Amino acid sequence: MNKFIRVNMTSLEVKADGIPEKYKGLGGRALTSAFVYDEVKPTCHALGKNNKLIFAPGLLSGTSAPNSGRISVGAKSPLTGTIKESNSGGSFSQKMARMGIKALVIEGMPTDDKYYVINIKMDSITIDEAPLEILNGIGNYKAIEVLNAKYGEKIGIALAGPAGEHRLPAANISFKDPEGNIRSAGRGGLGAVMGSKKVKAIVIDDTGSKPVPIADPDKFRAASKVFAQALMSHPVSGEGLAAYGTNVLVNIINEAGGFPSYNFTTGRIEHNDNISGETLNAVITERGGEGKVSHGCHPGCIIRCSQWYPNEKGKYITSGFEYETIWGLGADAGIENFDDIAYIDRAMDDVGVDSIEIAVAIATAMEGGLLPWGDGKAALNAVKEIAVPTHLGRLIGGGTSVVGKVCGLFRTPVVKDQGIPAYDPRAIKGIGLTYATSTMGADHTFGYCISGNILKIGADLDPLKKEGQIEYARAMQIGTAAVDTTGMCLFVYFGIADSPEGYQALIDMINAQYGLSLTSEDVDKLGENVLKTEIAFNKAAGFTNVHNCLPEFFEYEPLPPHNVVWDFTQEEIDKVQDF
Amino acid sequence: MKKKKKAIEIRGFLHLDKAFRKKYGAPPFYYNLESTITGLELAKILEVNPKEIEVIFVNGFVQSLDYQIHPGDRVAFLPPGCPGPYRVALGFYGKNQGSKSNFTLDE
Repeated sequence: MNKFIRVNMTSLEVKADGIPEKYKGLGGRALTSAFVYDEVKPTCHALGKNNKLIFAPGLLSGTSAPNSGRISVGAKSPLTGTIKESNSGGSFSQKMARMGIKALVIEGMPTDDKYYVINIKMDSITIDEAPLEILNGIGNYKAIEVLNAKYGEKIGIALAGPAGEHRLPAANISFKDPEGNIRSAGRGGLGAVMGSKKVKAIVIDDTGSKPVPIADPDKFRAASKVFAQALMSHPVSGEGLAAYGTNVLVNIINEAGGFPSYNFTTGRIEHNDNISGETLNAVITERGGEGKVSHGCHPGCIIRCSQWYPNEKGKYITSGFEYETIWGLGADAGIENFDDIAYIDRAMDDVGVDSIEIAVAIATAMEGGLLPWGDGKAALNAVKEIAVPTHLGRLIGGGTSVVGKVCGLFRTPVVKDQGIPAYDPRAIKGIGLTYATSTMGADHTFGYCISGNILKIGADLDPLKKEGQIEYARAMQIGTAAVDTTGMCLFVYFGIADSPEGYQALIDMINAQYGLSLTSEDVDKLGENVLKTEIAFNKAAGFTNVHNCLPEFFEYEPLPPHNVVWDFTQEEIDKVQDF
Repeated sequence: MKKKKKAIEIRGFLHLDKAFRKKYGAPPFYYNLESTITGLELAKILEVNPKEIEVIFVNGFVQSLDYQIHPGDRVAFLPPGCPGPYRVALGFYGKNQGSKSNFTLDE
């Protein structure tokens, strides 16, 4: 990859330069966070002219490495005010990498009210006026159809949906997947940043591109084979996720009593069977039609945790129907009907919002009396109203923190104004430490991977006790920051956590591609540097360790069935990032 | 079905959900227990191959297959396949080391 592209939306000019020396060894989150630290004024308004939006494929994107198709997007977040990296599947990342594009930066903002499409081809980049047919509340599904017709069926697309046009804090960036459906860089409101720069869409056509150069193809092929074997022979990545998706966690987390429900007032529900991964599999299988139990979100995905969920007539409703979305609507908001949840998921993709933030905001709105508890139809209408936007649509699209404040609630489950996802920190304490210390607000994927010996970290953990949790959270955060630089899906974690050969193969692939000789210590150091860069940006933006905390209600409201509270002190929390 | 005082409440997850549903109906189902029994003994009674179980849940806590189950307990059988760092956070790695299901990578 040899191009570093800057699109200036103030002057509507494009510059394609070589890659700055300091970014040559970086990719994915390492690159987006380093760039935001270097070039974005930490105290800027996230929706103002001084914020910058950067898209970067991972170090292994565009190669034949399994599961390497994630695209990282970075900026200052309008939801949290912190640095943000959000990543997604789809084909965008692989096309960028094959075209030799290390990064695409969007900076400045137009003074007029027009929206634009950035059109990237091998030999040109233009800034076109966006067609009217995709503006003013038109949903993402329709927008993809229009852009496919205008620019070609094989293009990759990144979109600011209606929520992005309205610059709402929960707006995501939506990416077209291989079948023309939708994947999302969901968290942190980066769709609002894209909308603020009046970029409605980026289309990318890699016709004429060449394969990504590999310094040592034989070594790369050998490492890739070992890596694929580690993934496919593991029961999680080889079997569990393909059959049940991430939603396999409904029954498990519910059984563990860490399934936050009815706005975080209990850790277990009785209607889990309505919304479980096992039921998801059974419904898709029984309905047939366009339904698919297993599906990959990008070319080269061999885990295939996605699925196509059909309606009773077998017609596609939604895909990538994730555990956290189903938890948020099904348990936190108490919506018991699976089809209702699926239609809300589709509507969230269509308006372009983070399905975790909006699900938690809906549950908070139910507690605040804005919506009836468990009412799927009312929730669906509220999500659709984001596209208009009505006052209710703006409130929900504002995210959980806004809804909690407007409703006068103390029980508002956010960290740094980002909604807490599907694992209650009182009953699964290690996750709580990651929510508290994440540089991007509450985020379960901030501490997802591990590089070292998992038995040393995890053998003695008791989810309700403090012992070992600080070391666990620290190791997970460092490992995740490193994997996020590669373009790999985080679900490769299982193959690398339980197989030393799998982890070494991941490093060997990077070495073979770039002609390097990185060790596992080097990779850990990279993860640490990513975290330190993000912490430094946040400090300059005004965040201190005092912001690394959970909402107070977790300290005094015991969570049934284990009846536990959050009891880490600030001093203990601070030790997580003491490295 | 209502739970009797000495009965244990049983669930199966992943593919065991379908298998138990076929034999015993919608979850949970109940089994009368007069005295304590290990998870492994219960699995044998229910004709579940130990290779199909990574850990069990007893009253909401992850346990190994040799854990003692008492009358009145709530039990769930979990085959290999639970994703996420929750495998670590919930304590799987302290409880699955003796499991026959653990793991097939080196076989």
